[in-house]
Amino acid sequence: MALDKSLIGREYGPFVYTLGAEKMREFALAIGGAQPGAGTPGEPPPHVSPLLYDAQAAKAGPYGDLIAFPSFAVVFAIRPFSAALTDPQLGIQITNVVHGEQELEFLDVMRPGDVMTSTGRIADIYEKARMGFIVVTSESRNQHGTVVVKGTWTGVVRNS
Amino acid sequence: MPRTFQPGDTFTHVRECDRYRPVYYAGASGDFNPIHIDPEAGKAVGLGGNILQGLCTLGWAVEAVGNFVGDPGRVRRVRVRFSKPVRPEDTITFQGRVTAIQDGRLTAEVSATNQRGEDVLKGAVVEASIE
Repeated sequence: MALDKSLIGREYGPFVYTLGAEKMREFALAIGGAQPGAGTPGEPPPHVSPLLYDAQAAKAGPYGDLIAFPSFAVVFAIRPFSAALTDPQLGIQITNVVHGEQELEFLDVMRPGDVMTSTGRIADIYEKARMGFIVVTSESRNQHGTVVVKGTWTGVVRNS
Repeated sequence: MPRTFQPGDTFTHVRECDRYRPVYYAGASGDFNPIHIDPEAGKAVGLGGNILQGLCTLGWAVEAVGNFVGDPGRVRRVRVRFSKPVRPEDTITFQGRVTAIQDGRLTAEVSATNQRGEDVLKGAVVEASIE
């Protein structure tokens, strides 16, 4: 069954997310290869920048505070994409979805306490090689109204 | 002394998807799609087991460039196509090459291949500020 193209243009959000220092650390260290064991986030491997986990070092650094690993943005910016994929009108079985393509633009760093508001829309739906493609664009603004992250998310629906 | 960068500069970054990395990344990111954390769910949909979240592989490409420029906060843009799943116990080698430097911004092409030499990302481009 083909995906319903009439949903192109449908909007999702706003989704609000407050960045917390420990979640930022957990993400940076999960990417960096730490072994969390019992209790997160585990010990930072040597290649991980202290700007991502060491508050004291980060305060003396270029941003004056801890910063999030850039792709931490996916934690909140994915919400419009996720809402689209689970939209009952599309009728997608989520285990049939694989991530096809991703673009993220980082317009500023993210610090603890930042409040991000994400919105998004279905930019395209098409079929190729008997698979369904759904493209969602997202925009996340901080508490000052500044756009910090833009995303373009492409899901591939197998057996669509 | 600020570091200088030139088109043609190369860098390498190696990351291991250990057995539990998809679970750790699920906890950190909130992406608990069963195909990432449950081998049986992955098998049931024909993937032959669980697969790492593509966004974790994207994160490693970002990490490769962030380390190369010396500051993760300088990464400005990333674009990837996921061409093949990464599986637990795969080792991924990222190879980057600076293709352009313009207006204080470095553009790098990044390839990512598994231990069998298969591409797991295609046409990955990462940009970072160098000013």
